Amino acid sequence: MSKLLVVDDEANIRLLYAEELKDEGYEVVTAASSAEATEKLQSGVFDLAVLDIKLKNESGIELLQKLVKERHDMPVILCSAFSCYKDDFSAWLADGYVVKSGDLTELKQEIARVLAKKAQKIKAGA
Amino acid sequence: MDRECCWNREVIEQADCPRVGTGEEELLTLKQQRNLEKCCDCPTFLNDLNALRNDANPLAPVLASFLAEYCDQKTQIQSLVSFLDNKTLEIRFLNELGHVLQSSVDLDEVLSVALTAITAGKGFGMNRAFLLLCDREEGMLKGYLGLGPRNLEEASQVWDEILQNDMDLQTLAQNFRLNKLSSERAKFHDVLEQLTIPLSNKDHIIIKALDGKRPLMVEGAFQHPDVPHELAHLLGVDTFLLMPLISRNRRVGMIIADNFITHRAITKEDMHSLETFGFPVAFAIERASLYDKLQVELNRVTEAGKKLKEQQELIVRMENMALVGRITSSIAHSVRNPLMIIGGFARSILKSSPESDPKRTFIESIVAETRQLEGVLDEILNYSDSLYPTRDFWDVNQLVETALRDTTDSLLSLGYASSYVSGYELPPVFIDFKQLSYCLRTVLQNDINNIGDDRSIAISSVRGNDCVILRIDDSGRRISQEELDRLLVPFSETRDLGAGLGLALCKTMLEKQGIPFEVTADEHNGIRYTITLPTRKEEQL
Repeated sequence: MSKLLVVDDEANIRLLYAEELKDEGYEVVTAASSAEATEKLQSGVFDLAVLDIKLKNESGIELLQKLVKERHDMPVILCSAFSCYKDDFSAWLADGYVVKSGDLTELKQEIARVLAKKAQKIKAGA
Repeated sequence: MDRECCWNREVIEQADCPRVGTGEEELLTLKQQRNLEKCCDCPTFLNDLNALRNDANPLAPVLASFLAEYCDQKTQIQSLVSFLDNKTLEIRFLNELGHVLQSSVDLDEVLSVALTAITAGKGFGMNRAFLLLCDREEGMLKGYLGLGPRNLEEASQVWDEILQNDMDLQTLAQNFRLNKLSSERAKFHDVLEQLTIPLSNKDHIIIKALDGKRPLMVEGAFQHPDVPHELAHLLGVDTFLLMPLISRNRRVGMIIADNFITHRAITKEDMHSLETFGFPVAFAIERASLYDKLQVELNRVTEAGKKLKEQQELIVRMENMALVGRITSSIAHSVRNPLMIIGGFARSILKSSPESDPKRTFIESIVAETRQLEGVLDEILNYSDSLYPTRDFWDVNQLVETALRDTTDSLLSLGYASSYVSGYELPPVFIDFKQLSYCLRTVLQNDINNIGDDRSIAISSVRGNDCVILRIDDSGRRISQEELDRLLVPFSETRDLGAGLGLALCKTMLEKQGIPFEVTADEHNGIRYTITLPTRKEEQL
């Protein structure tokens, strides 16, 4: 079972993601801030992180940079209200980019795609 | 002793003295004045004086001696008066000239006045004058303007005209500037063109005079060892005057003056007068030239100021737009999360509710409504983002492939087939990749939302002149012109999804980048979108 870290400052969104992703068969851990996410990351190993770009009073981009630098083996999918960032971030730092929507199909597909890619990479490396 | 003359009479008649002319009648009653003015060189008076000497009058030789001395003094005084009159005229002329030269900053006006003064009868009265100006950048002394007749016939005509009109110097100069400046320039075009001498040619007599900063009278020009043969023949005169124009020790130009028609000798006085005149002329020419340069700089500064103002206005406009963009995106972002939560939980509930649940319809409505609102939000956010495009050079193939990758799933799920044919050796295009990618996705999305029989989309790119032309053909789509026009008007669509901003927003985005976007419909061949992507920055065009 893949273990996912969901970082979002909105409690209801964390709850929605957790419920929906658990239904998909993932183990989900949530964090409301960068500090909490860092703490959770230190206490466990995650297969993938789902990260909101805009966190309360802080930038998700900084956390993304930190994750890319320190946990380069853990793929990150960015979630944002802004579809316009898609071409920027998908091309640069993150492994995937999803525009926030009540329909989580795209997010679920993206998670599956990124995890499959990661598995393929590990297999090729082995 | 009998006297022949009337000198001793207090009052005489007009007939008594033929030397008293009309208008001098008062001398008939003024004996002393008449004696001084008329008797001294009167032959009858001299006869009386001789008669007195013959009578051995001892006063006769004394009187004769006084008379001779008086006549001599009188001649000298008359000569001095004439000299003073001339000088007064000269000072008046120079004063008038100085006034015009000092008050003018127009180069053509200064030159017109200068050359008119040299050639006018009321001025220095030379027949012809040429003005040469120093071009420091090119290091040349160049013929600039000529004034005077080219032949005797023209001379007679011009001088008659001047005599008849009796114009003062300033009027003459104004008349010349307004009516004759360009024609005189054209008239002496051939001469002026040949009067171009490099300032480095120190052996040339004109450059020598210029470097010497003193006027030079050239006599015997045709045989003169220092005068080039061509120059003598060009001017066609044996004697001419070279007057350097020097201002603040700097070489401004040269005036060549001659009496081409009358062949009147040029005197030393002419030369000195012209030398005095040369200083204010040189100063005025230099000042007018500087004023011209100043005017050019001023125009440049004015133009720069205008551009700066435009830039400032643009910045203010952009700031306003950025503010609008920030507000829009902030509102949209604030709405997005609650909407997502509502839609997300509604879907969750829907997923777990049995088909028979009568409230399932209500939940489906919530899902549908939130989906529509999310569509509206997307378009609003895209619009606010389109307010500030960031352009760079991008690969067209990468652009198309990115858009296709993002839409492939949707295309395939609806049974659409897409193809892309890339042009040969396409250059990079100067675009906002993000916005162009959005536009392509929107165009494709717009098509796949449409239900048609022929479900194929063909994309092609071809190299154009300073551009790459991207075409998207949907042969299956049948659309009327009215519908086509409506596609490009915001909020005109009535689909379930989206606010109808899609293609209209694309058009706006592309227009902001100066990228032509055309949509053409053909009842037989379907619809074609054409996007012309520039391959150069605006400033390179």
